[in-house]
Amino acid sequence: MIFTETKRYYVERRMFERMEATGAGTFASYFARLRSDANAEIEQFINALTVNETYFYREDHQLRCLTSDLLKERLKTNAQGQSIRIWSVPCSTGEEPYSIAIWLLENWPEVDNHDIEIIGSDIDTRVMEAARAGIFGKRALMRLSPELIAKYFTDLGDDRWRILDDLRGSVRFSQVNLIEPGGPGLHGKFDVIFCRNVLIYFDDASRRMAAENLFENLAPGGFLCLGHSESMSRISPLFDVCRYNDAIIYRRPLDTRNA
Amino acid sequence: MPLIRKDPVGASPPSTPSSSAGDLQASSAETRWNAARRLAKDPESVAALGRALGQEDDPRVREALFTSLAYIQSPQAIATILPHIRSDDASIRAGALDALATVPDAVEKSVPTLLSDPDPDVRILICDVVRRLPGPLATQYLCDLLTVETHPNVCGAAVEALSEVGNETALPVLAQCADRFASEPFLVFSISMASKRVAGNGRPVGSQAV
Repeated sequence: MIFTETKRYYVERRMFERMEATGAGTFASYFARLRSDANAEIEQFINALTVNETYFYREDHQLRCLTSDLLKERLKTNAQGQSIRIWSVPCSTGEEPYSIAIWLLENWPEVDNHDIEIIGSDIDTRVMEAARAGIFGKRALMRLSPELIAKYFTDLGDDRWRILDDLRGSVRFSQVNLIEPGGPGLHGKFDVIFCRNVLIYFDDASRRMAAENLFENLAPGGFLCLGHSESMSRISPLFDVCRYNDAIIYRRPLDTRNA
Repeated sequence: MPLIRKDPVGASPPSTPSSSAGDLQASSAETRWNAARRLAKDPESVAALGRALGQEDDPRVREALFTSLAYIQSPQAIATILPHIRSDDASIRAGALDALATVPDAVEKSVPTLLSDPDPDVRILICDVVRRLPGPLATQYLCDLLTVETHPNVCGAAVEALSEVGNETALPVLAQCADRFASEPFLVFSISMASKRVAGNGRPVGSQAV
């Protein structure tokens, strides 16, 4: 991860939070705790630094592109009866994988004709617990209509809603490190990967590693959706660029062999 | 509901298969690609990655070899990548340069030698790596180059890099360069623009600046 000078306040704030939580009176004592990984502090520190703020239907032009173009393309390539596999990484507290599920149920006329598997992954174990719990505040639901909220959520009061158990149970969550050399490779090949607004936090070498990992986890001809401010073209030449009406999407070329 | 969930069998997720250096010579590009990626975790594999890089003809595998060597970042790994910036194949040159550009700190020790390389193309390419170094350090290297550089295209690359990362200490060197290359209108114009950016004001430098 790379933090520029403009993120100094953010990093300081998160570090002071961890110092307070661990009872470290000075930076030196906290740093010693971090280096020795006492009580798994490294994971706690990563959890504190990773950015988790998101909401349902964020950058929904890519969701439109998913149902208007990407899935059609995948169905041309996939074998009859083959599941459609979608990966949301990093998935943060679950808004993105659940958004994909709701969007497909609401907007893809062919949704009942296919098995669809959605997996959400993140390096931050804390947010994945929240994703599994599926409880969201008002801000996370701000882009959803009252009808959608009523249809897919249970009102818990105090401006909190829980996503329906059927949806909660249909999305699998797992921890991955996108920049692990030769990884993550644990979930098989995907038809579409949503990897939005995380590459901007990596240094150049880690971005290249992440790009190769994403490539490896895509089926030939599979699609990669990045955040609106991100460009794979400046990271790796492995992907083709596809311009659709709703979004620019990156694609693993069809002619590379499947593992 | 058409949404399905397939949980992995067993309590722990499947582990990533390991690869050996021998897999870099496999006939299957997929095996070589996987080996190239996984050997990034093994700093001892630099020699094998380097040998493979010299023979590999699949662009995707080559990309992974460059990435893994850059990831390892050791002086030996960097020294293994560097010769490829002289390749006759533009895609290999670009691949090597892209990999080096991701680890500028690891390349820095080689920068003085590379900026005085007899091949002007090498000097041009290395300006792009220098651009990624911290501003004051990059400015120093680029100014040292501009002071002695005789090839206008190399100066052009250095000026372009300076316009992005340079500071005002570069202004006298830019002015001197503009004077030395007064007969190269494009370079004089580039220096004028770079000087404006570096100085943060609209005052051009060099007697021939436009």
